[in-house]
Amino acid sequence: MPRDEIDGGRTEHLPGGAEAKGGLSRRSFLQIAAGATGAAMATKATVARAGNGWSMGLEGVPREKLLWMYETMLKSRWWEEEMKEAFLAGKDGLYGAFHISIGEEASAVGVMAALREDDYIASNHRGHAHLVAKGGDIDKMSGELFFRSNGYNLGFGGSMHITDVSKGILGMNGIIGPQYLFAAGAGYSAKVRGTDQVAVAFGGDGSVNNGWYYSGLRNAALYKLPMIAVIENNGYQISMPQARTNNLVNLSQLGAGMDIPHETVNGMDVLAVYAVTQRAVARARRGDGPTLIEAKNYRYYDHSGLAGAKPGVFGAFGLPYRSDSENRAWMAEDPIPKLRRQLVANAILTDEEATQIEDAVRARVLQSLDTARNAARVAHDAALSHVFADTKVPASQFAV
Amino acid sequence: MAPKPGNYAVLEAIQHEMRRDPHLTMLYEYQRPTAVSPTGTVIDLHAEFGEPRIPDWGPIDEEWFVGGGAGIAMTGVRTIARVPSMCTLRCFELVFNQVGKLRHMTGGQVNMPLVIWQDASGRRPGSAGQHADAGQEALYAAIPGIKVVVPANPHDAKGLMIAALRDPDPVIFFHYSGINSVSVDVPDEGYVIPIGEAAIRQEGTDITLVGYGPAAIEINKSLPDLAAAGISAEVIDPRSIKPLPIEAINASVRKTGKLLVVDHGHETLGTASEIIARVAMAVPGAKLARSTFPDAPPPGAAEMITWMTPDAPKIVDAVRKMVA
Ligand SMILES: Cc1ncc(C[n+]2csc(CCOP(=O)(O)OP(=O)(O)O)c2C)c(N)n1
Repeated sequence: MPRDEIDGGRTEHLPGGAEAKGGLSRRSFLQIAAGATGAAMATKATVARAGNGWSMGLEGVPREKLLWMYETMLKSRWWEEEMKEAFLAGKDGLYGAFHISIGEEASAVGVMAALREDDYIASNHRGHAHLVAKGGDIDKMSGELFFRSNGYNLGFGGSMHITDVSKGILGMNGIIGPQYLFAAGAGYSAKVRGTDQVAVAFGGDGSVNNGWYYSGLRNAALYKLPMIAVIENNGYQISMPQARTNNLVNLSQLGAGMDIPHETVNGMDVLAVYAVTQRAVARARRGDGPTLIEAKNYRYYDHSGLAGAKPGVFGAFGLPYRSDSENRAWMAEDPIPKLRRQLVANAILTDEEATQIEDAVRARVLQSLDTARNAARVAHDAALSHVFADTKVPASQFAV
Repeated sequence: MAPKPGNYAVLEAIQHEMRRDPHLTMLYEYQRPTAVSPTGTVIDLHAEFGEPRIPDWGPIDEEWFVGGGAGIAMTGVRTIARVPSMCTLRCFELVFNQVGKLRHMTGGQVNMPLVIWQDASGRRPGSAGQHADAGQEALYAAIPGIKVVVPANPHDAKGLMIAALRDPDPVIFFHYSGINSVSVDVPDEGYVIPIGEAAIRQEGTDITLVGYGPAAIEINKSLPDLAAAGISAEVIDPRSIKPLPIEAINASVRKTGKLLVVDHGHETLGTASEIIARVAMAVPGAKLARSTFPDAPPPGAAEMITWMTPDAPKIVDAVRKMVA
């Protein structure tokens, strides 16, 4: 994806390291930030421009919210990084699905920054950042990846199905498409119950080729449901570039035919995502129906699992379907140092404070992995419960 | 003739048939039709046959492969729709109300030479919920007008795929990933394993063991322990669920008097239920039992799903009790 298509040709100057051989070191998104004080000033871009790919400044965004964005992106980033390290180290016997969303934190955090705690999200297989941003408990997330009894889903779900109904997280999901139906349904429910809650569906560029996507959005438009569909377009459906799965360039265009407000935003800019989502949320709460947001971003790792990933190296390289330089180009746009530079340049944080926040996040993440390591294993026969509310199913595997 | 991985064997079958039939078309999602044999031979169907017979990739749109594939097939072009493993039932409605009915509903006018190459996960730890399923072939077998085959090794996969591709009627081919690594010789040339024909894997006199696909793999693993225990088991892999080769099973149970059906599908209304019901009617007095995955979705934790899966140790245990 040429940068031009995202921000109208504006480029940011990123100090050294971005083109380093063999990939960025895993601390280098900090190093990029550390050398960049003053490189980017908040612009006077209007919210309208954000939807056309302009970078947004932090004007008008409360300090608390900015700090929350920074810390939350870091929390998601480091939780996945440390989990990746644990998978690669192989000492914990980790197994199961693991779809890393590193690189995509700005869309998760930017969207969630515009939501209330009682709003709903319906997430997909690449949903760790959605969970963290919607207030998910990383202890329970780690527990679930370890399939331990302290996990969110008690070891039933693993990475791909983490759910926290109490926080409006209607779940990550291993199937592409139901997110749009669930979010439309949750929006319908808000109408039935007379609340002004909003429901957001998250999906990838691959998910728009699916009938359930149209059903969710079309019906949200028909019934003016408080629903927002967020397409996180990372350019690939597994290893297939978007051009091979769809004849569009900007997937937000799909809203036009359904007469649904739609826009494409720079998914590597948390403030831009926040700005367009705020507008969509206001529309939804007013009763004006759904919005379709396409956030263009990138995943620095492989689709699933750890091909091309190495311990201590940030990002996956040498994947057969994309170039390392493409990956590095997107890493050079990393949303975390981008926000950090703005926070420092605008005297919201000092450089030291920014580092302290990051260190504290990292320590908290490591603690959550330790908690999971020490948590009790699940009982094998727990498997027969939770099929129905109050009865167990028979153990039919034993023939006699 | 050499051992070949299951995926390669199936692509070899399709390549063979695509060379015979200049219109044979295949739609698929992300399972690119390329594979390498252990000797280094590469099959790349897209490179060999190109657009439009094999498009370069596909969207996440399973209804398109099956529904669009049915439309292609109705016009006389034999079609393969490859559907990914977590979507075994995504197109159930299309298969039930269209694919299976059209010939009958139109008084025999519509031919439906459609093969649904249905990938299937099978029971495995870690995937959880939607990516560790098995047994959905039984639901398709319940649909009039659909033939259902489930190979348990690459050899059978190739022969059943060729049979499916020569059948005038829609066939759903359940391809469990666990069969890919089963090591058996696969001839290079094309051959047919007739749909509806069972394989007697081992002759025996004490008990009849029946299972297909992943269950057949577990039965096979249990055989050394059973032999060591001095038990003579007759092992039958039906390979087709519809038409079900019930006569081979009945004949065996008449001889042994005992039947254990192993099924990685669920307990209620699975293939095991059907086999046992038919044998019960045909062979009065036989001792009948089944080992199935419980009526619960597959959980992720290894502790749970391993305990739930009818595997070799559970088979050995059940057989010992049945022949005691
Ligand atoms: C209905 C359905 N079909 C196929 C799959 C297999 N699958 C899992 S993720 C994926 C690709 C998703 O791509 P995209 O929507 O672009 O999201 P990304 O992985 O890039 O975040 C596919 C095909 C699935 N989970 N569900």
